[in-house]
Amino acid sequence: MTKNSIRQTLALGKRSTLELFRQPALVVPSMIFPLFFSFLGNSSFGRTTSLPGFPKVSSYLQFQLAGTIVQGVLFGSVTGAAALATDIENGFFDRLLASPTSRTGILFGRLAGSVLFGAFSTAVFIFALLPFGADVSAGIRGIIAMIISGALISLAVGALMSSVALKTGSSEAVQGTFPLLFILLFFSSAFFPRETMSGIYATIAGFNPISHLVEGIRALSLDGFTASATARAVLVPLAIAIVALVIANSQLNKRLRSN
Amino acid sequence: MDTATQISTRAIIDEQDLHITTMRSAGQLIKRSLINTRRLPSAFIPTLAMPIFNMVSFSGTFFALTKLPGFPTDRSVNWFMPLGLAMGAAFSGVGLGFSLIRDLENGFYDRLRMSPTSRISLIVGPVLATWIRVTLVAIFVFIVGGLLGARPTAGVLSYVCSLVAALGISTIGAGWGLGLAFRFQDMRGAAIMQMSIFLTMFMSTAQVPLDVMTGWLHTVARVNPVTNIFRLSRSGWVNESSSGYMSWSNVYGGLIAIAVLSVLSLLFAVRSLQKIDK
Repeated sequence: MTKNSIRQTLALGKRSTLELFRQPALVVPSMIFPLFFSFLGNSSFGRTTSLPGFPKVSSYLQFQLAGTIVQGVLFGSVTGAAALATDIENGFFDRLLASPTSRTGILFGRLAGSVLFGAFSTAVFIFALLPFGADVSAGIRGIIAMIISGALISLAVGALMSSVALKTGSSEAVQGTFPLLFILLFFSSAFFPRETMSGIYATIAGFNPISHLVEGIRALSLDGFTASATARAVLVPLAIAIVALVIANSQLNKRLRSN
Repeated sequence: MDTATQISTRAIIDEQDLHITTMRSAGQLIKRSLINTRRLPSAFIPTLAMPIFNMVSFSGTFFALTKLPGFPTDRSVNWFMPLGLAMGAAFSGVGLGFSLIRDLENGFYDRLRMSPTSRISLIVGPVLATWIRVTLVAIFVFIVGGLLGARPTAGVLSYVCSLVAALGISTIGAGWGLGLAFRFQDMRGAAIMQMSIFLTMFMSTAQVPLDVMTGWLHTVARVNPVTNIFRLSRSGWVNESSSGYMSWSNVYGGLIAIAVLSVLSLLFAVRSLQKIDK
């Protein structure tokens, strides 16, 4: 990457970040809903923490923290990718192509906004739930690792959703993937531990990548700052992000060729 | 015939005409709604898929809840099937508001208002069409629920109570959705419709019984009338030994909640329609 392309990527990154933060109506729901579900879950399932198979936690909220983070980051990433599709729909993407802008900068600049928002929303979820019993056993180092993990999850999901945006060029199609994410989330261990599930549900949750993203962060929250917990929290989303970026880049190249 | 008799006869005829016109117009609107369902299945399928998804995902993910001491059933699908049905019914109801917003935006509604159609039929017709759709959804949910292991504990009454609750929730949702659509006349109303229904439903016994809840939710759910509707809906799906099992005391609260909320929400819709006319 040349100095110029880094500058262009940073400029596009700044644009996409400001875009997200300047339109609170777009992103606030992705923060309010997960927080609401956390408090709802804490009151609904508070007594379930004594069930066999449930990990040792100080409160349901401590267990739920990881699910809340992933839920918020998933929904926020869809908004970021929908903005890329909107750029394609309203012609801004074509204007970028007509200018001597770095091609990968278009994609990475857009994803930078999602990554920053992912890190920001993770921090908000942690500090909003901390006073109500969502303790982080791993302490401040764990919180930093969780924020990095949130940013990486955002990068991974943002890149996957950007592939949809680049392939279809339709913000409606990107928003249409929302129910799919919702289904994946509910068939994962985001709200209840896999150990308490049985049969086909336990199998699906075991294969579901969302379960592994959630459990990585949860390990930091419940087990403390250990090498294995940190590796799970950071390496799993990093691996998914690398694969997703390759897919997104290939979709970008296809769109460039078709243009 | 003297003048007074003529006026009185005319009034009776007018009233009969009005009644016939209302029913005929409502019938046409029901037909239109059902034709739309057949022609645009993409709009109906989510209404059908949502309760199934709710039922399947909740009963699988929260299966362990049934192991809590005092949980009213040992089958999680028995507990979550009425929730799925209620969610489907609620969103079928508020879905009317979405259709109305589309009709208001594309001018169809102005044409209806210009025609000599009874105003009441503009509300009665769509609500009755929703009842038909909700009944179809309920049949589908009962079949899938049965395949997943849901077993009624009070025979046919189990299905009847769940269906009555679903029809009630859809009527409340419809009145609320239509009222908001008449007031806002654009998609701003849609967000309020979804959010308010979602919050009202979940801040009740939607997920767990009152005995299992703790903290603020217990306080809110205890006074939320939707809790009574869920008690009605689930009365034939919980164990016979449970305190929520089918009995008049577990049913009447739900029926009253449905009647009162339906009247209030439909009045809200009528008043909002009158505001447009003014």
